[in-house]
Amino acid sequence: MEADTQAHVAFFLTGRRTDAEPEPVEGLGLRPALLAGYRDLAALRYDFPLVLTARGGELERVQSLSAIFDEALTRVCTGAGAADAAALRHLGLRLEREIRGLVVGGFRGLLSAAWSAAAAAMESKGEAGPADRLRRLRAAVTVEGELADCDEALPARLVRHAWAAVQSRKAASFQRRLERLVLRLGEILEADFERSEAGRSAARLKASVGGGFAGAFDFDSLSRTLATARPRVAFSESRRRRISDLLATLRSQRFFSAPKSGGADSGVAEKPFEFQFASCGEALASLRGRMPALVALARAIVVAELEIEGLYSEARHDGLFRGFGDNGLDPQDLAAFPDYLVCVNASCLHGDEHAQLLEVLSSGLPIKVLLQIDDILEESPYGEGNLTTGTRSRQVASMAMGLNEVYVLQAPASHLYRFREPILRGLRLAGPALFSVYSGASGATSDLPPYVLAAAALESRAFPAFAYDPSAGPNWASRFTLEANPRLELDWPVQPLVYEDEQHQRVTVDLAFTLVDFVACDRRYARHLARVPRAKWNSHLIPVDEALSRERKGLPDSVPCLWMVDERDVLQRVLADERLLREARRCREMWHSLQELAGVHNSHAEALLARERRAWEARAQQELPAAVPIVTVASAPAPASSSARGVAPAAEANAGPERSPDESYIETQRCSTCNECTNINNKMFAYDSNKQAYIADLDAGTYAQLVEAAESCQVAAIHPGKPRNPREPDLDALQKRAAAFR
Amino acid sequence: MTTNATECLLQLCDEQFQLEDYQSGVPRWCSGCGDNAILAAVQRLCRDEALRPEKTVFVSGIGCSSRFPHYMKTYGFHGIHGRALPVAEGVKMARPDLTVFVNTGDGDCCSIGAAHWIHAIRYNMNLTVFLHDNQIYGLTKKQASPTSPIGTKSNTTPRGSYLEALNPVSVTLGVQNVSFVAQAVDWIPEVLFDIVKAAYHHRGLSFVRIVQRCPEWLPKSFDPWLHDPNRVQILAHANGLHPSAALSRTYKNQLEHDPSNIHRARELAGDSVNIPVGILYRNPEVPCYEDLIRPDLLRTPELTRSVLDSEMDKYTIWP
Repeated sequence: MEADTQAHVAFFLTGRRTDAEPEPVEGLGLRPALLAGYRDLAALRYDFPLVLTARGGELERVQSLSAIFDEALTRVCTGAGAADAAALRHLGLRLEREIRGLVVGGFRGLLSAAWSAAAAAMESKGEAGPADRLRRLRAAVTVEGELADCDEALPARLVRHAWAAVQSRKAASFQRRLERLVLRLGEILEADFERSEAGRSAARLKASVGGGFAGAFDFDSLSRTLATARPRVAFSESRRRRISDLLATLRSQRFFSAPKSGGADSGVAEKPFEFQFASCGEALASLRGRMPALVALARAIVVAELEIEGLYSEARHDGLFRGFGDNGLDPQDLAAFPDYLVCVNASCLHGDEHAQLLEVLSSGLPIKVLLQIDDILEESPYGEGNLTTGTRSRQVASMAMGLNEVYVLQAPASHLYRFREPILRGLRLAGPALFSVYSGASGATSDLPPYVLAAAALESRAFPAFAYDPSAGPNWASRFTLEANPRLELDWPVQPLVYEDEQHQRVTVDLAFTLVDFVACDRRYARHLARVPRAKWNSHLIPVDEALSRERKGLPDSVPCLWMVDERDVLQRVLADERLLREARRCREMWHSLQELAGVHNSHAEALLARERRAWEARAQQELPAAVPIVTVASAPAPASSSARGVAPAAEANAGPERSPDESYIETQRCSTCNECTNINNKMFAYDSNKQAYIADLDAGTYAQLVEAAESCQVAAIHPGKPRNPREPDLDALQKRAAAFR
Repeated sequence: MTTNATECLLQLCDEQFQLEDYQSGVPRWCSGCGDNAILAAVQRLCRDEALRPEKTVFVSGIGCSSRFPHYMKTYGFHGIHGRALPVAEGVKMARPDLTVFVNTGDGDCCSIGAAHWIHAIRYNMNLTVFLHDNQIYGLTKKQASPTSPIGTKSNTTPRGSYLEALNPVSVTLGVQNVSFVAQAVDWIPEVLFDIVKAAYHHRGLSFVRIVQRCPEWLPKSFDPWLHDPNRVQILAHANGLHPSAALSRTYKNQLEHDPSNIHRARELAGDSVNIPVGILYRNPEVPCYEDLIRPDLLRTPELTRSVLDSEMDKYTIWP
């Protein structure tokens, strides 16, 4: 082994440099070569910044700046001349870049304010062009809202924004219902009052007519006359009290704010409850404390609906509603009320808070939890050199999926815009939900912006995106999805790297982006990396994914090496030590387990397939000597004939009983209820529960009546059969008449 | 869709109705009259759907058929000649929570009430309309109606009627916004009930023409169809009627007809040889008038007061 390679292998095995080579990477400002193009985010068009709007549907409340500009440019360029449209596009894209630059530089505020600032900056640089174009472009942008970049605050801002949109829709629906209930219950009480003595008093009648015609009526006489018309059904005192109680409960509820148009009486006495919390413990305590009020309100709503419909029966319903909510409320009942939102940071998730998170998620209650993780490469608390590489977050998300009924979404902040729909789905769902989000804002541990770091976490499988939706179906195939991850069938996604070599030739290599690439972005792990000078590059340096796929026996003859670029975008090759490779293997194993859940390389399915293949081959081997084609095994014609046989008995079963021509009967199903037979003899003929005739008692009448009924029947459904009494007069003639109906 | 526990418990407490809960008095129709079959089918529907009598209204005009509300133990409005539909529309507009049925005859609907009929179809309010078509004015003892076949001898047409009969199904299918049209005959109770049920479940104006025998004044009128089951064409479809095996034995003339195909429905409606029986057309997407005009506002006293004030202000003379 050459001396250079020996030094590389020694570093790989021990993580220590014995000599000047390989060189340390601290201070070189290295980043994975595949991320070289993402140095200036302001110059790139991508999902961020986002615009959080207060209008439109739930999905439209989070929009991408690029999408807003695309839409505005389409609108403003339609019908414009080619040169004008090109100038507008150029101006629009320039302005968008300026706004993005402002946001990356720390601007926070409304889109309109950023627009003004960006336009002013462009004007000062002389890039704004004619004012008319800028004005037309501004008029085409109809969206207004807060700008949000991919930073530490984004996960909580976005989830809170989406949560508020879902809750406002729920609140609007609830308020409409509440308003209607209060109004209708009030009307019932008012109607009761109008029928009472007080309601019919002369003074009341006079007040209701008003001052203009007060002298035209004799209200005393009117009152006396009305007093004689007492209502037939008295309004019980218990009902009056019940309705008053219902009104009080509905009006004093604090789960939603008061309806805007509810009038003076329907106002809420106290401030509405708060439903956003910073810890699971607080949320649980609030929920438990409010549960009696919630049960009372849910009961009041159901009882009020029954009262309004006039269906409430004290005998039937009092007992039922006395125990209402004793066994907790159904998730469907709870779904009408606000959900609780807890935004908690993983760094605070210790001890009690962790236990309470478990309690929240396993409770089945409508609590939505945002677990924000800012650092997935945190140092292990158990000693120097140990990495956790996202195991804490994985623990929570995997545990939540294991609970079966929790909606789980894991995604990096960079992909939250694309996960708007799954986020809304989780928020709309009745029951608990967990949103595990990696923000990428790990502070001073990396030079990369949070967006790139978050996206790199997804790319490297360090923080895979997945969703588990318990309402989507009965099995994992329908509930679990891993689709958002790149190349999910591979261990590591592979991307092409294009660079220029020493001869200024364009070279393309396919590079896998592994966990080691992601860890290399974090300066805390710089000691596990070492730069190999250009002169020492040799064939013993192999890509990390290749090193991971090799099984090492004895002394390694090659070492894993990353492709990185320095601050001047010069390509560098960097050794990784065994410790990082070990973490990459752990990460790969975790990825494999996720793949299996998603049905990719599923070990059960593959084992079954292998077994069937072996069995098939064995059968084929046995059948070969007999020269029977293998395909005949599967081409049995039995099913068609067996299904045909299956239908026949059913058809026969529907055919009905065979009737003897001597039997007296009615084809009841054909009876058209014309009353002819029942008018002849309503003891012999009667109607069944569907008001169709049958022979109730043959002995209740004569054969002559039976024949007469058969002749009268409009649909000839009566069959007289043979006479029962041989001594009945004119039997021969009657039988001749009856023969027509046999 | 799942139902919550509270709803299930309330359903347990729901009243169960019997046919007798909807029966009121003994019908004065002649024996053998097809109206009896319609009454039985509708009462059965009310029972099976557990329609609360106090939430159900039958509105009629004038004629034999229009005695229908008298025999239902629900709310009813025996209206004036030809005006069953406008009255029913008024009821529905004021009380959208009520289930409103309309019983009208061929004279009531297709002659004096024809204008209302056309516009009721266009308005497509959520009503279930039964046209009892016996092709004669029976209550006034035999005068030709618009649907009387050409040559019908009656007190007003002693030499036989001169005009081709009006086809109520074709007319209805030709009006804009039509959303449900079916045809039944009173002598096949199973199909009559299925159609009545489908009409009730349709949201919009369900128009059901029920070909109905009048044993008193036109006793032989439908004999060709009554005695030859093959002249009754049953329209079956996965989205329409599903005739039973027993029925299929008698009525072998069956046709697969998709109720969403209005052009085919119009062709079938014009058949002068066979009587097509089944759901000819159904389009649940046609909006109901009451949904279009009713604002999403609760009629609170404040709203009423403000609307009245704004109306009054139009006539205020400001100094």
